[in-house]
Amino acid sequence: MTRRELIALLSAAPWLRSAERNDSGMASRGIRPQPRGKASGRPFNARFTDVAAAAGLHAPIIYGPPDRMDYILESMGCGIAFLDYDNDGWLDIFTLTGTRREGPVAGATNRLYRNNRDGTFTDVTREAGLTRQDWAFGVTVGDYNNDGFDDIFISQWGQNVLYRNNGDGTFSDVTRAAGLIHDGRRWGTGCTWVDYDRDGRLDLFVSHYLMFDFESIPATGQDPACNFKGVPVNCGPRGLRGERCTLYHNNGDGTFTDVTAASSIGGAGPSFGLTAVAADFLKTGWQDIYVACDSTPSLLFHNQGDGRFAEQGLQLGLAVNEDGSEQAGMGIAVGDFDSDGELDVLKTHFTEDTAALYRNIGRGGFEDVTNAAGLGVETRYVSWGAGIQDFDNDGWPDLFWATGSVFPEVERVHPEFAHRTPRVLFRNLGAGKFEELLDAAGPAIGEAHASRGVAFGDFDNDGDVDILIMNINEPPSLLRNDVRGANHWLKVKLIGVKSNRSAIGATVIASYGGRKQAQAVLAQSGYLSASDRRLHFGLGDATSARLEVRWPSGVCENIGSVAADRLVTIREGAGVIRVESFGKSR
Amino acid sequence: MRVLWCVLAACVAAVGQTAVHVARATQLMQDRLFAAAGSEFEIALKQEPSNNGVRFQYAACLFAQGRNEEARQQFEAVRRQTGDSPGVNYYLGRLDLLGGDFASAVGKLRAAEADPAFSRAAFYLGLAYLGTGNRAEAIHSLERAATASPRDGQVHYRLARAYSAAGRSDDADREYKLYNDCRNTLRTTEQDVRECAKALRSSRIEEARPVCQRVADPNDPERLVVLAQLYGERGAYDDAIEPLRRAVQIDAESFEAWHDLGLTLFRLKRYGDARAPLERAVALNPEFADTLNLLAATLYVLGDDAAALPVLEKLHSLKPGDAQVSAALERVRAAVREKR
Repeated sequence: MTRRELIALLSAAPWLRSAERNDSGMASRGIRPQPRGKASGRPFNARFTDVAAAAGLHAPIIYGPPDRMDYILESMGCGIAFLDYDNDGWLDIFTLTGTRREGPVAGATNRLYRNNRDGTFTDVTREAGLTRQDWAFGVTVGDYNNDGFDDIFISQWGQNVLYRNNGDGTFSDVTRAAGLIHDGRRWGTGCTWVDYDRDGRLDLFVSHYLMFDFESIPATGQDPACNFKGVPVNCGPRGLRGERCTLYHNNGDGTFTDVTAASSIGGAGPSFGLTAVAADFLKTGWQDIYVACDSTPSLLFHNQGDGRFAEQGLQLGLAVNEDGSEQAGMGIAVGDFDSDGELDVLKTHFTEDTAALYRNIGRGGFEDVTNAAGLGVETRYVSWGAGIQDFDNDGWPDLFWATGSVFPEVERVHPEFAHRTPRVLFRNLGAGKFEELLDAAGPAIGEAHASRGVAFGDFDNDGDVDILIMNINEPPSLLRNDVRGANHWLKVKLIGVKSNRSAIGATVIASYGGRKQAQAVLAQSGYLSASDRRLHFGLGDATSARLEVRWPSGVCENIGSVAADRLVTIREGAGVIRVESFGKSR
Repeated sequence: MRVLWCVLAACVAAVGQTAVHVARATQLMQDRLFAAAGSEFEIALKQEPSNNGVRFQYAACLFAQGRNEEARQQFEAVRRQTGDSPGVNYYLGRLDLLGGDFASAVGKLRAAEADPAFSRAAFYLGLAYLGTGNRAEAIHSLERAATASPRDGQVHYRLARAYSAAGRSDDADREYKLYNDCRNTLRTTEQDVRECAKALRSSRIEEARPVCQRVADPNDPERLVVLAQLYGERGAYDDAIEPLRRAVQIDAESFEAWHDLGLTLFRLKRYGDARAPLERAVALNPEFADTLNLLAATLYVLGDDAAALPVLEKLHSLKPGDAQVSAALERVRAAVREKR
């Protein structure tokens, strides 16, 4: 060895670390899971089975190439919806679709499936006039013209779409006539109907993800800064340009006016906005809007009651986690996990991070109770559509979310970061604690997919909550819930009069068994999805409940004791107008 | 991580084969490969079960993996052997905090806070007080943490939340603003680094310099080190020198800055200038093989074989199976013998 060779050898020490860190991807704390405690051993009386194929949901939901995700646009997937478009009392299904950069895919379309009331569905897309293939992302369902039929708004990359329900099983694209065409191409994601000014008409809120076009954003492998664990992946959202949200006011004549500036919604800085949820979070009688943001602080638009909003996510505790770290907000669930009559929030995030569970502490806002609640044990998956739902009717709402990677390339190098991953279910133990059920809730929970949107509803009207899941480049999953045991439940359907007819934004507080649980009628939740607007309360062993309804008009209505195991329909100002035997009691 | 380094420096007294595994584990810890690091520590402990320094590091490694109960057992074992120490109290306090035993956490973190090496203890102490419901003490602790770490957005956020809960809205607003400032600084840095890297990749160095200059905050050693690393990756070693010189002026305890300065000067073949920074880096982190490598090479090329020999011997003790290091060591030994 010469002196020159020795010097060359010894000087080969690498730089300690790459100066250009992986800061182009999604926010993740890179944290390790908390240790799992001893299992409670309590039986869980809900069991999920994927019945999508038997139900006739065969068509795959196309989203980008089948084996890779070269662009962030191809990786984000879309929402899914339960709705009752024909008012027959049975939930129908609406699935969105993407497309492929290379060109349209034969047969790919948004799809409307009519419920045959026997556990199966019929594809009625063509008859309904809903055939469309585009980069669709979010969906919100509501009766914007108060004619008694649910309309559909879809957020897209490009232009959004408003379908008016004609009431005869068909829909009409009224986007242009409604004044909802915007300048240029935007990436609409979160969307929710919301009556922000209490005029009884549904206004429309749309969040946007980022400024995207295939020409200016490098594909996977073209920018070395875009990597995950050293593997080249698609770029974004960090490093790309975020977008502001938009609010449209419903003029009451079938048209909308952009009030983004006047409402101060536009005052919030650009963010990577995804799921949007509207509810009266702070019990002011006015609708607030919460937007899950990916790798930027999430936004809480607090309604000031005068047509304007103040973005107060930070001050009210919903912008970041308890460490002050922004997370990769994807999906949002709203419910009352601790049964204290307040609306709490669950938000899902990226891998190597936890979901965030925020407890509503009243006008002071929210506190992050993720670790105290036991959710810190699960950090493995990129997590999306979420719900706070009482799956086993024990009176304590459980937590669920769907998962799936955005970087299919990574698992070839790092098998621990699989592309298709299982669902996550935490059962509520009471006292603010949860435990993850890995295999105690039926075979469908452990099945692995690259999932995104999730909707919750009782599609077979049997008195429990089923789950509908969007899977990328696969047919959707329909998780039928079969609940055992003797627990009781109550379903509540609201019809607004002074309020919007869909009662979107109403909060119902059910009192039963010494507890009170709040639920809100939402037009979007999960991940860019729309769920059954009939509220489902598990009651445990209680055989009745009292109800307090806070209508979005500001009216508060108390309903006396209502017998369990029923669907009750409440019309604003008129109380209970219909009681239907339902499920096992039918 | 800085806390961990202090502990490592204070506690490690490993020798022989144990040192090899500890060195590997230390490197793996730096690379955040905690599971692999844990395996190395386990081997080291099998060889020297009474080495409390290694046991402490192993416990910290378990803690980093979220293996809290195992970490606690190891820390408790150290405490049984060595008595209370700030390091053990710090980690046991954090474990108590994670486990919801806030009263116990307060006791341990208060003890740890007394040692300046554990300045972060004030922050966790504040959280522990919050857990006990003692908001006033929590605020006092968080205020101390904010004073000690004015650039730590997490501290400002927690303090803002505590002020807010106490109804001190003006104080809360001030802390929220400081939090936002920290966050914006971080985002701006990320953006500046990204643009600098892009410019260095796609432009001539003359065109990239003004873009990269935005990364150069003369009062922020971390930004300066990152800037130098960006230049270094581009091969623009001359441009890396000034940021590194400034970085070691501001933070004389920055191993990374001293190492990078030595490396950069070495790459420029300014061996005489490289020697002092590398010696300083080795003094700050005597177990880091890459720095030992560089220092040995520098001394060798300067002809100071006598000084190079102990450095190579240390390197060889860390990498006994490395044939090239062994060969270099033999050659230098021979040269020293010859000179004698």
